[in-house]
Amino acid sequence: MASDRRRRTITRCAAAGVVLIVFLVGSAPARAAAAWWSPVALRGVAVARVSAIGDTITVRTGSGEMLRSTDAGRTFATAPSDAALPPSGVVTVGTQRWEIDPGGKVVHVANVTQGTSGVVDPGSPDLGPGAGLIASPAALPGVVVAVSTNGTVWRRGQDGDWKQALLLLPASLVQGVPRITAVTAFTEPLSDAIYLGTDGYAVLISTDGGDDWIRAGAGLPDSVSSLSADSARHALYAGTADGLWEHVLQSLPAPPSYQDAALVWRWLGIGAITLVASAAALLGLTRLVPRRLSG
Amino acid sequence: MATEARRARLERYRASRWWPAAATLVIAELGLGAALLVPITFSDPNGVDPYLARLSVASVLIAMPSLFVRRLEPARPILLALAAVAATYTLLSAGPQILFDLLGPRSGSFDAQVFWASVAQAAGTLLIALAAWRLVTPEGRPSLRMRRLGIGGLAAGVLGSAALIGLGLALPAGVLGRVALQPVALGRDFPFLGPANALQAFSQEVQFRGLLLGALERTMSPRWANVSQAAVFGLAHLAISYGGPEAPFVPITFLVGLGFGWLVRRTNSLWPAVIIHAVADIALQFGIVQGLYGL
Repeated sequence: MASDRRRRTITRCAAAGVVLIVFLVGSAPARAAAAWWSPVALRGVAVARVSAIGDTITVRTGSGEMLRSTDAGRTFATAPSDAALPPSGVVTVGTQRWEIDPGGKVVHVANVTQGTSGVVDPGSPDLGPGAGLIASPAALPGVVVAVSTNGTVWRRGQDGDWKQALLLLPASLVQGVPRITAVTAFTEPLSDAIYLGTDGYAVLISTDGGDDWIRAGAGLPDSVSSLSADSARHALYAGTADGLWEHVLQSLPAPPSYQDAALVWRWLGIGAITLVASAAALLGLTRLVPRRLSG
Repeated sequence: MATEARRARLERYRASRWWPAAATLVIAELGLGAALLVPITFSDPNGVDPYLARLSVASVLIAMPSLFVRRLEPARPILLALAAVAATYTLLSAGPQILFDLLGPRSGSFDAQVFWASVAQAAGTLLIALAAWRLVTPEGRPSLRMRRLGIGGLAAGVLGSAALIGLGLALPAGVLGRVALQPVALGRDFPFLGPANALQAFSQEVQFRGLLLGALERTMSPRWANVSQAAVFGLAHLAISYGGPEAPFVPITFLVGLGFGWLVRRTNSLWPAVIIHAVADIALQFGIVQGLYGL
């Protein structure tokens, strides 16, 4: 008699549990985040330089061949003989231009259209002769990131203050410090991001003017030779040891926030599980732990 | 017949000295694991419950009855140790938000909030340690080993820290994410986050190598007690890393827990482990460049 009652109770509890689980599972649609990087073309080919403007993408391969695509990277053909890649060591944002002079100092041209002459930015670090990596995001006026020939990343804050922002560490005891190969940002005010390409740590990104950095090379080959931010397509292109890759502007991954009913139901479910798990653990403890310590 | 043999075997185990602690640990961990992981099947706990309040509530719900129910008295020291781990973690992770909600802009920078949350975690841990000292019978009372730090212990702490940093540099950078140092962020964050990391390391050592190991070794062989606390230490890191790309962190923390447990027993002092743990946490804080999806 008692056994029948217990069986009925267990059956009812199990049925209620199944209904609860089915309801809760049904209320949580699955989602998949978009890939941070995706391959565009030229897999298996080393891409040494890339420049993208709208649908036109020009690349120089590791063997020195110049290729051009006029359909956003779907097909590539040999570039015209007069094709050239943009010069390094200079970036123009609106009417301002920042460039690295031959001595390695950062020069600021306040108004390109009025023909203002450039002046060495006060406090500019000595980047070393031949330094050529510089970027300035249009969304953060006055912020500049430049790389010295010894691999130190410098950043200029909006207050004009230059500071060392990043020092790469050795890949391992035998491999040494990877080379910084590229730095870029969007020259239209689309994003605060500054991107750093490396030959070993893929891509790093800063969204606060170079103070804090995170690794943003998920899916990308570790060896990145060149970066190009294309404001027209809201995309960043990376020339790598394994072809051309693309990152379309998107928010940094973050947990979603829930409102009202969705949040309440989720909390109820989590609360119910917590209570059941605690109760089950206590039941197990009272059944299995002896009344007093022995021995 | 088989059932009777099983029952007899269970009774033999229950008569063993180690049984209450082992059964408590396994059952409580199962309960906490269910509270932590089951919600993933129907909800998004990272978004709804980022501070792991469910784990804290479950740990307190399981531990509280052991203070009042005589039958659960042998389980008390283990359950208090687990409550110290889970409840104070929520105090730490939710602390900055709680401070901001209470004090608004007067709560200071985020770094300052993290520091005060770490102080709260350490205070909460010490409070529970005091409760364990007062409420557990002398034969089950955990030995916290906080009273002495000899020259040998200090040397072990310094040498262990150096070895850990050397190991971190020897391992490939990509495995750990220790790809760069960020001087601007370091100068800004260290005054608060350095001490905060040291406090967090202290709290965890009191929880795992003080309360838990101290309680387990009252009834188990030193080797099994150490393996058990290291297993809980590893599993506890599941709470902050589950589902993410840093899942391999769990076996690593298990091994680290084993090493810390061995060191604490060997030197009969908690402090060498606190020193190494603090140095490791500070190195992780400032030497690791976070990835897009966390560590």
